[in-house]
Amino acid sequence: MTAIAEILSPGLFTSVQDSGRAGLRHLGVPQSGAADRLSLACANAALGNPLGASALEATLTGPTLKFECDVSFCIAGADMSAALNDKTIPLYQPIEAGKGNILTLSAAKIGARSYIAFRGGVAGENFLGSFSTYSPAALGGIEGRALKKGDHLAGAGLKALSAQAIPRSLRPQFTHDFILRASLGPDAAMIKPANLEKFFASAWSVDRRAGRMGARLTGADIALADAHPMNSSAVFPGTVQCPPDGAPFLLLADAQTLGGYPRIAQLIAADLPLAGQIRPGDRVWFRKVSAEAACDITLQKQALIGASLPAFSFY
Amino acid sequence: MTGRPQSGPCFEIRSFGENGWMAQITDLGDIVATALYANAIAKSLRMNFQLAAGIIDAVAGIDSVTLRFNPAAINAKQAHQALADAIGATPFDQTVSAVKPIEIPVCYGGEHGPDFDDLCTYLGLTPAQLISAHTSGAYRVLTLGFAPGFAYLGPLDPALAAPRLDTPRQRVEAGAVGVAGPFTGVYPLASPGGWRIIGRTPARLFDPKAPSPFLFEPGAEVRFVPIEASAFSSHRRFAP
Repeated sequence: MTAIAEILSPGLFTSVQDSGRAGLRHLGVPQSGAADRLSLACANAALGNPLGASALEATLTGPTLKFECDVSFCIAGADMSAALNDKTIPLYQPIEAGKGNILTLSAAKIGARSYIAFRGGVAGENFLGSFSTYSPAALGGIEGRALKKGDHLAGAGLKALSAQAIPRSLRPQFTHDFILRASLGPDAAMIKPANLEKFFASAWSVDRRAGRMGARLTGADIALADAHPMNSSAVFPGTVQCPPDGAPFLLLADAQTLGGYPRIAQLIAADLPLAGQIRPGDRVWFRKVSAEAACDITLQKQALIGASLPAFSFY
Repeated sequence: MTGRPQSGPCFEIRSFGENGWMAQITDLGDIVATALYANAIAKSLRMNFQLAAGIIDAVAGIDSVTLRFNPAAINAKQAHQALADAIGATPFDQTVSAVKPIEIPVCYGGEHGPDFDDLCTYLGLTPAQLISAHTSGAYRVLTLGFAPGFAYLGPLDPALAAPRLDTPRQRVEAGAVGVAGPFTGVYPLASPGGWRIIGRTPARLFDPKAPSPFLFEPGAEVRFVPIEASAFSSHRRFAP
C-alpha cells in the first residue's frame, strides 16, 4: 500500500470513515461510517471514487497533513478554511498536491464535519467489510481510534472512475439553527401528548458532549408520563430517545443497536446527513411529518441527487 | 395492528419512521421463550431471499422485532406484511437446543470483578453464594446487541437481580461478565457499559478476522465455570 500522508496534527477528532457497516445490527454491530454521508459522497464523486469510499472525517477542528507522494484529494462538508502550503483551496473540487506539500484544516465556524477524500481511498483495518472507525470498541480505521500525531495514512488502492463535477445545488448550506424533519417513533405514546407537542414546538440546544454516537438536547422538559422500564429494543441512527431526565437524545452514525429508553421520533432519512453537521451549542427544531410524507420527501430528494450521483441512497 | 399467531403471544406492530416497523410482544411471559421467538422471527426475515433486496435490518430485542427496509425496493405495506407473515410462520417454541453448551471459564471478584464485593453486600450474599448462584444457571443467549457481539443471557437467578450502575463505566474490559436486572451478559470486546461487573473470562470471544467474528449466537446455551485468579493467564488462549 502506498503511504500517502503523515499526520502532523490530528485535529479534534479525525477518523477514517466510509459508508459504514450495513445490515449487521442483529450482531450488535453499529453502522458507523460518515456522519454526513452526502458530503462524503460529494468528496468521493469529485475524484471518481465509489461514493462510499473511505476518507478522513474531521470534527470541528481539522488535521494538518504532510503528503508523502503526489496525491489528488477533495474536501467537502463543513468549511475548515483548508489551505495547501498556506494557500486557500476550494471545497468540492479535486486538488492536485505534490510530495512534501502540507494541507492544513483549521476550525469550522459553521457545521461540524469535513471530509478529506483521496483518489483511490484511504486504507484502514477491515472489520466486516468496512474500514470505518468505531472507537468505542476500537474497531476499523487506524487501530480503531481517532488519528494522532505521527500516524501515516496509506492509500486503499480503489479503482477511480471518471471524476464528477459537484453542482452548487448539491452543496449543503449549514447553519446554527437546524430544522430537521421527523416522524413519530414506536414509543411516542409513552410520553404525554402535551410533551410530544412540546418536543415538536421547542428550540433544542445541543449539549457540548455531542459526538458520533449522538447528541443530547436540552431546553424544554419532556419527562416521561410514567417511567415504567422497557426491555432493550432496536434503535438506529436518527432515532430520538427520551431518557428519564427529560432531555431527548438524537442518535447518529455510531448509535448502539439496542436501547432501553422510549423512542419518541425518527428523523427522516433525507435529513440524517444534515444531522451529522450539528455542533455543540447549535439549536435544533423538529418538524413533524407523517411516515408516508417522509418517505416521499426522501425518495424525491434522492432522485434529485441521483441526477448527479446516481448511486447515492439515503437508506 | 394487533394479532396473535396460532399458538404464540400477542403482538402489536407499530410504525418506526418512514422505513421501519416494530413488532412488540405485548403479553410477555417466559423471557427466554419470548426472546428466542423474537430472534427466530428476525432471522427468518433476514433469510427471506424474496425480500433480500428490500430488507436492511431485522433486529430482535428482548421482546420485539424491528424491520428496517429500503423504500426504493419494497413499500411500507409490503414490509408490514412481511413482518406479520414472519410472525405468523415462526413457531413460538424455540427453546429446544440441540447444541452442546458453551462453557465459559470465569474468574470472579478481585481485579477481574470490580463490582463483585458491592454486589455481595447489596444482595446480602457471601462471595461463595454469589459464585454458586451465578455458575449454577443454565443460560441461553437471548439476543445480541447494545455493543458488538454483546450477549444478553438469561434466565438469571432472581436472587442476583440488581439495577445497572448509576454511572456507566467509560471502559469495560473484553471478557467482562456482568449482571443487570433479569440478565447476565458477557462483553466480547472492550466497550463502555453500565452492567455490574462480577468477573472476567480469559476465553477469547471475538476474532475480528473470522467471517462470524463473535462466539455467541442467539439460542446458544451457556454455562459459567469458576476458575482461580492464578488460572486466568494460563487460560489465556483457551477457546471454548
